[in-house]
Parts: sequence; structure tokens; C-alpha cells
Amino acid sequence: MVELISGRTACEPAVTIKLASTSDELLQCFALRAAVFMGEQACPYWEEFDGNDYAASHVIMYVDGEPAGCMRLRWFQSFCKFERCVVLRRYRGLGIHHAINSWCKQFARRKGFTKVYLHLQTRHMPMMEKEGFRRVDDKVFKFSDHEYYAIYCDLEADESAVDLASDPMVVNRPEDRLEVEGILEKSGQRGASNPHAPYISRLAN
Amino acid sequence: MSTIAQSIGGEAVTTKLAMRMEDSLQAFAVRAACFIGELDVPFSEEFDGHDFGATHIIAYVGDEPAGALRVRWFQSFAMPERLAVIQRFRGHNVGALLLDRCRALAESRGCNMLYVQVLPSDLKYWEKQGWRRLVAEEGSGNPKRIIAMVKAVDPNKPLPDVEAPEAVVLHRESQLDSTGIPRGTVSN
Repeated sequence: MVELISGRTACEPAVTIKLASTSDELLQCFALRAAVFMGEQACPYWEEFDGNDYAASHVIMYVDGEPAGCMRLRWFQSFCKFERCVVLRRYRGLGIHHAINSWCKQFARRKGFTKVYLHLQTRHMPMMEKEGFRRVDDKVFKFSDHEYYAIYCDLEADESAVDLASDPMVVNRPEDRLEVEGILEKSGQRGASNPHAPYISRLAN
Repeated sequence: MSTIAQSIGGEAVTTKLAMRMEDSLQAFAVRAACFIGELDVPFSEEFDGHDFGATHIIAYVGDEPAGALRVRWFQSFAMPERLAVIQRFRGHNVGALLLDRCRALAESRGCNMLYVQVLPSDLKYWEKQGWRRLVAEEGSGNPKRIIAMVKAVDPNKPLPDVEAPEAVVLHRESQLDSTGIPRGTVSN
């Protein structure tokens, strides 16, 4: 599940999705969110960048190498919360929100989650019903000038999800490539020289 | 210079130089809202690789980032660019305020000329603020054709004769080290 790549024919866009894992990729997410929420929906800056950006995981989607969409994920005890989902205007109508939705669901499953929860602008309900979401209750609530439903989706438990029985070095891998050897496993080849210990005591050992 | 708003809706209008990462993010957010969100500019053209070799000035209405301006520094001039004001704050001369802060900053650095590239549709905005074309009148067939304009930093000291033809200063700062982000396709 490293990257989801579609685009089998020349005229289909090549869609790539990954965890935003560098400051550049994070900046791309912030720029896309600013474009859509501040630029198109007139959301105030402090509501869009609400203090949770560095307590979250961002997922970035590229179309033909250009940042095209993103999602912010926050992790609670019993569910993963999908937030701030955007597809840039020029990439709408291609159906690529399916790609980032299913990538994020799969990502949450690998981490052991079986429930996704999100706040949906009510106008998008038909779209998200097709993605398998249902309303939590009948409440309609308002923030940032929109009306929202709380919706959720059950995920099929992933047999190979990370848990306490997982290999500790698998838990250390970059989270969107848990099946690939990570840099810390390679570091194991150096042995344990205990560089925190004073030089003399290392010599003594 | 036209009168500049000191407050909008009772909120003070202020400017500051981006000094911290959070400041820069605010400038980037304002630019993304205006250029990517409203004008549909591709990400890689808006964030063209020059952002960390430039100075950003941000305008606030109260606490809210309302406008941003990027300034690049060349040997013979300062170049304000990427001027953006969030839609609901337009019509209060926030842009002029940002440009004036840029002018003052250039003055403090001993720079005597400001240089901008503008679209023909924005020509009047800039002329009203005292800018003049670098190269005298030319055929204006293409509405996307970029026009170079200049302005003296000190209004009492007219600009010396400018020799640089438009083409020399435009697109010569190449992104030599760029690998992550595709090179922009703007060719001026």
C-alpha cells in the first residue's frame, strides 16, 4: 500500500497518494487547504489552521506530479477522524476523491482502526453514502459558515494490522510503508555501540 | 499615494515582515487562497522555488492574515511580486499598504528602484500608484503579455535612466537545485 497509482492509458491522469512526510509535502497540504477553504469558501485563517495541524497526519494526492488533493487525519481511541479533505478545483470531476478516501481507509486499517468518523458538509451526503458512510444521528450542527452531519463508516478489521504482537521494528517503519524495510532496521546493522556512554566505559566493555 | 486604510470594520490594519515559520505559512496561505483557489494557478507555478530566497510581508486585519507580498532582491532593484489580498478585505488599499511597507524596507536597505511585472489588465492599478512602464509603449496584442514597471523608492529622487531591457531581468534566475517540485511553466 505504498502508493496508489492509477492511469493505465495515456489520457488518464496518474494519481499518486502518500503520507505527507516532509515539510515540503506538509506545506503542499496547507497550500491546497488554503486554496479551497480560504480561497473558495472564505474560511478565516484561524479557523482553517485551528491548532490541530501538528497533532495530525496529512495525506497528499498528486495528479501527474502536481499537488491535487489532501486529507488531514486525527487519531482517537476508537476511531480515525477524516478532516480537511480537498480536491483542487481543476482536478474535480475525475472521481479522484474515491482514491484518497480509500487510501486513507486502508491506512487507518493498517494501524488497527475499524471506524472512520467525519464531519460532512450536508451537501456532500450523497457522495459519501456511496463511500459507505452513514449518519451517526439526526443532528445538524454549524461551524465555519457551513452545516454539517456527523457520519461514520465501519472498516473491516485488518488481520495484519499493527498491534502489540507486531515486530517492534515493523512498528518503527514509516507508517505508509509498513511492509517495506525502514531506515531504522538498516541502522541495526551497526550494532549497539551505546554512544551515550562515556568513552572510557565503552572501552571497558 | 492614495490614502491607506488604518482599520477595516473596527479592526486595525497592520503589516509585518515574516520572521518565523508560522509567519511564512500565513503568507503562503494567503497566496494559495488567492492564486491557487481563486485564479486556478498550478501549485508548482505559485510556489516556484524562490520563496526561501525572498522576503515576505504580511498584512493583518486584527489577527487575521489578510494580504501578503513577496519581495525579491536584486543588485539594482527590489522586486515586489505575488501581491495577494483575501477577497473580503479588498477595496481598502491593503495592497497599497503592503507595497508601501516594501518601499520603506527597500529604502532602509539603500535600494533606489522597485520593479514589478504586471498584466495589462492591472496596468491602471499600478499607474495610479505612481509606477511607470520600464519600456515605453509597445504593441499590446496579448492580454497575458507581462509589462515591466518601475517606481523610485524615494519619490523625491527620480529614477536614473534604466538600461536593462525587459528581457534581461525577467526569467534568468533558474532553479538550479530544484528536484522536488516540477519546474514551473511560466515563461514570461
